[in-house]
Amino acid sequence: MRTGSGPINYMSERTNQEWLDALHGPPTIQEPALQELTERLQRGIFYYLSRERSDLSHLAVQDISQMAEDLAQDAVLRVLENLDSFRGDSRFTTWATKIAVRVAISEMRRARYRDFRLDDLTADDELLPLDALNTSSTQSLSPTPENAAERDDVIKKIDAALKEALTERQYQALDAVVLRGVPLEIVAERMDTNRNALYKLVHDARQKLRTHLETQGLSIDYMLDLFQD
Amino acid sequence: MPSDRLKKLIDCLHDNHDAGCDCAAAYKEFECLAEQAVRGVDIHELLPRVALHLDLCSDCREEFEALVSILGEDNEHRVNE
Repeated sequence: MRTGSGPINYMSERTNQEWLDALHGPPTIQEPALQELTERLQRGIFYYLSRERSDLSHLAVQDISQMAEDLAQDAVLRVLENLDSFRGDSRFTTWATKIAVRVAISEMRRARYRDFRLDDLTADDELLPLDALNTSSTQSLSPTPENAAERDDVIKKIDAALKEALTERQYQALDAVVLRGVPLEIVAERMDTNRNALYKLVHDARQKLRTHLETQGLSIDYMLDLFQD
Repeated sequence: MPSDRLKKLIDCLHDNHDAGCDCAAAYKEFECLAEQAVRGVDIHELLPRVALHLDLCSDCREEFEALVSILGEDNEHRVNE
């Protein structure tokens, strides 16, 4: 997929094959390559943490630098573990950076959601809390008086659909990922599955819910229109 | 907040996830797509199913945008050397 042309100039860079040969090579060849790769990934991670992560802006440069160093070392190990999966259709360093990005962001997510428990979600409140079900929608959605009752009726039907159409696992996944914005990766770990399987679980839940609501005469366009501000 | 969650729920039902790929398929294309994105290529034209997935999946989007950002900085760094 080499379709673009631009200002990228990598005259002095190792070719992909040179990277692979070096990283598969004897220690005298492998070690300098590992050092170069580590430094390169560390620089990229440092840039990302220091320039793109406002949530880390309170940290001192030295702390971010140390984080980048640690994460780069983890990333290099991950690169070595996955060398055989490199397809060669990008620059090797781009592929390695992709792995480093995942290592770094995963670590950030785990730190942020260290105390997150799925049980807390259900203990917290219902998917559509009682105040959305029992009170006039005028407080939460500011509808006109004419459609307040209509909105309340639809909210009750949606709440019923969530309970009737979805399995407990689908309900939990949809709640955590879609409604509360918890990263897939974190929810997947807590649900003892993987990110891709969780994405599919949420996808299936969404489809089931949509189909169920449509059989109740509730089209998505109708609901969007009803609840628009 | 009830209205917030309700709207998120309806929005997610409205989004056309069927036209996108899954996280694993998207991840396989990240490196190629990111190199093209740095060059200014429209990724929606290049790989629409992956681009749609990135629109809808915040985990993957966060990682892809980070990769593009780092590649862009790396590109600048080397051009200036």
